[in-house]
Amino acid sequence: MDKNLNTSSERKLNCSDESKCFELLESILDGEETTASKEILDEKLAKCQPCFEHYHLEKVIREVLKNKCTKHMVPAELADTIRQKIQEIK
Amino acid sequence: MSEVQRKKYSDKEKNSIFDHEFMPHIDSMYNFAYRLTFDEDDAKDLVQDTYLKAYRFINSFEQGTNAKAWLFRILKNSFINEYRKKSKQPSKVDYQEVETYYNSDNVDYSMTSDLRVDAVKDMLGDEISNALNSLAVDFRTVIILCDLEGFTYEEMAKILDIPIGTVRSRLHRARNLLKDKLRSYAENMGYDTDEE
Repeated sequence: MDKNLNTSSERKLNCSDESKCFELLESILDGEETTASKEILDEKLAKCQPCFEHYHLEKVIREVLKNKCTKHMVPAELADTIRQKIQEIK
Repeated sequence: MSEVQRKKYSDKEKNSIFDHEFMPHIDSMYNFAYRLTFDEDDAKDLVQDTYLKAYRFINSFEQGTNAKAWLFRILKNSFINEYRKKSKQPSKVDYQEVETYYNSDNVDYSMTSDLRVDAVKDMLGDEISNALNSLAVDFRTVIILCDLEGFTYEEMAKILDIPIGTVRSRLHRARNLLKDKLRSYAENMGYDTDEE
């Protein structure tokens, strides 16, 4: 549980420019937004409830995808088969 | 595949590139192939074909550049050109997903979601994985490349041969579709997703 959720009363409940804000937040989460300073992000999250919620939902979705989409084990013989085939075409 | 870089690597150099720059990505390649084909044998064939092509065209690979992105591009193209055609299931457009997207009130970034962070956190790996697998292949692909493999938008644009703007919007749409799936799972788990 995010402890910051308790302070939501201090945030405005409507975002004046959701479309632009959400796009920015998603870019930041994807590591694409290097120019947006941390202060801008912190300020948005501190002052705007929709931005805060969107950011944290998007963040947790990226985390579960990364951590819970288990990697399928590579069949043990695959690398050897590939090397063998390469030898054949050399 | 870029024909610009026409280097002539010696056999020793070829082997070195293959062993040190190509083979270390076999886990990611297999995972990508499996999530595209949903079949172990097809995934194995696809990865094998990709590596054989990579070796055959190794002279067009510029050493020191992103080998993983280069390999993923070959794999994606092989999948589209060969596997999609001969796939056991006829390739079909998932009209439901297309509809979900086009009929939604907002297709831009202002689409709000009533899915809760805690509900997502409580989901099992299988549920997340099934939600991802249920997406149409183009949407599934961008999520795999971005979230599972950590490619940048620019790398994804090159792998998929689409503009960066399309990467951005496709990714956003893909995540919205994924959220719809997760929301329905959350409802089944007893989370009240309608509550503000």
